[in-house]
Amino acid sequence: MTRRALLVLVVALVALLTYPGAMLASFATRVTPAPATFRGPAGALPWLHVEHRAGQIPFIADEQGRMVLLHGATPASLLEFGPGNSPAYPLEPSAYENGRCPANKASSKYPPLCQADLAEMARLGFNLMRLPLSWSLLEPQRGSFNRTYLDRVAQIVDWARDQGIYVIVDMHQNGYSNYVGASDSSVDLGQYSGAPPWATITDGFASHVYQKQREVNPAVLEATTNFWYDRSGIQDEYLAALTVIAKRFRDDPVVVGYGIYNEPLIGWGLPPGYEDLLLFPFYRRAIDAITGAHDGLPCWSGFFMPAVCGYRDLGADDTRHLIFLDTGLLREVTDFPTHLPMPVSSYPNVVLALHAYTHFYTIDHLVPNLVSSSSYPWGGYDQSYSQAEHEARSMDAALFVSEFGSPPGDDSRLLASQVVEQDIHRVGFAFWTWKENGSGAWGVYAPPATSTDSSGCLRGNREQLLARAYPRATADTSLTFRYNGVDGSFQLRATGRRGDPPTVVYVPPEVNGSVTVSGGADGSTSDNADGSRIIVATPTGGRFNVYVSSAPPVLATC
Amino acid sequence: MLGLLAMWFGVFAPFAILSATRSLVRIRASNGELGGAASATAGLIAGAIGLVVIVAGIGYWILAA
Repeated sequence: MTRRALLVLVVALVALLTYPGAMLASFATRVTPAPATFRGPAGALPWLHVEHRAGQIPFIADEQGRMVLLHGATPASLLEFGPGNSPAYPLEPSAYENGRCPANKASSKYPPLCQADLAEMARLGFNLMRLPLSWSLLEPQRGSFNRTYLDRVAQIVDWARDQGIYVIVDMHQNGYSNYVGASDSSVDLGQYSGAPPWATITDGFASHVYQKQREVNPAVLEATTNFWYDRSGIQDEYLAALTVIAKRFRDDPVVVGYGIYNEPLIGWGLPPGYEDLLLFPFYRRAIDAITGAHDGLPCWSGFFMPAVCGYRDLGADDTRHLIFLDTGLLREVTDFPTHLPMPVSSYPNVVLALHAYTHFYTIDHLVPNLVSSSSYPWGGYDQSYSQAEHEARSMDAALFVSEFGSPPGDDSRLLASQVVEQDIHRVGFAFWTWKENGSGAWGVYAPPATSTDSSGCLRGNREQLLARAYPRATADTSLTFRYNGVDGSFQLRATGRRGDPPTVVYVPPEVNGSVTVSGGADGSTSDNADGSRIIVATPTGGRFNVYVSSAPPVLATC
Repeated sequence: MLGLLAMWFGVFAPFAILSATRSLVRIRASNGELGGAASATAGLIAGAIGLVVIVAGIGYWILAA
């Protein structure tokens, strides 16, 4: 009898710690009432949320329920990279006041982010900026948060507010941490960022890079694994750090949301268990901590928490912002879901954040001897997007491309293909990266000519592809549109009923064609001071079209 | 053991169920000579849970997507 009871206990315990427990916690979110959400005080920009409608993929929406598309880029100068292990530029906001900008440092991977950058982003039609932060700068000593760093973030958010640009505050990492050490010259710590030294537990594993891949490093894999298993409570500290950010920005609609963890690395784990039993339960706990959603079972904290565990409310009570959840890194290199996509949280404002690097960070490019680009991904550029739509629908989350990019020389192939897919799938983007120093830089702008310039010229190819005509808001979530960056033409087809809120189309200054609104909508066009135009198509019933005729784009590049 | 593994990796579930069922049949046919019925039953139950979970998970994905 005792033996039987023991066996039942073992089976029940293992079930609770593995997939049965994970699925229990996941599906329970479908019947748990969502935490009460309210939009909060009105601000310079309307609050955004995730709209859920039967039979549709959830989408990012404004207060009128219109689907909102966000286009933007990712400046990375607030990250701390090695090996110097100190911020490249001042963190004190006073160094940037009144339009001042510190001199660029050629030794830094990225130029400083200054007020003029936000105006340049707005000039390209960007209405979003993804702002990556380093945990190592936010919490340099355990339990001690750097308020100056948050003040600097708040300063940038204020600049964004002035330009009508939303901000994703993104907790970032590359190769887990710039404190993983370097056992030999194979490791370039200038490519690493993330966790502070006290949260980087490598257990003596050598920091050596294999296959020239930053993440294929035993010290990185060990430190990452220790994070997922909450060794010494470091995951608890991370959740506390996220909550510090949420408390600071909880009333600000310009901060559209928070990126919880950039490109989560699998560590020593295996798919799909890594994602289903470690990563996405961690995301659930992060949402619990920020919003007080109370999903998952009440559990201990401070050491390994199984998938079934939720997390306590850490007091931010932020139920307004979007929560961006990056897919696992393995998904990024395969363009294919590497786990069972299940609902994550009862909190409604969840966004699945896709990183789209087809033919650059996918396996056909990483291991060309094994997989050829002609045969993989099987579905071409569309594979990642169409699969991501399935994932988002299963997770009851909206979809957003929080990273994509490529070497400038590949723009006509890689970048052009990505933006076409984004139009087809009606998904917004944050381009990696805004400005970058050095050879091989990926920025929208070329590297500066001299070491003290903040940037070089706006790259013509990138201006042509990224400064796009696009619908910023629409009541028709099934609309189709296509911008052609070569001839500057734009076509949008939508359907509306009289009384629906208008569809708003942004036309960048580069595009000079004439505007026509036809069919069941009244159209009006207004000119902005920077030469861009805003088309407002107000439905009167039935199908309507918005056209911008072809005319060679006039590029601002120098 | 296969049953417990099945709850991590659903691919083990059919093997756990098959193995446990065969063991139970042999134990019952042995007229008491063979023991381990409780372990085999636990393996069967664990395998069944693993199978249900993986079928439910994949089923949900297909239906929800």
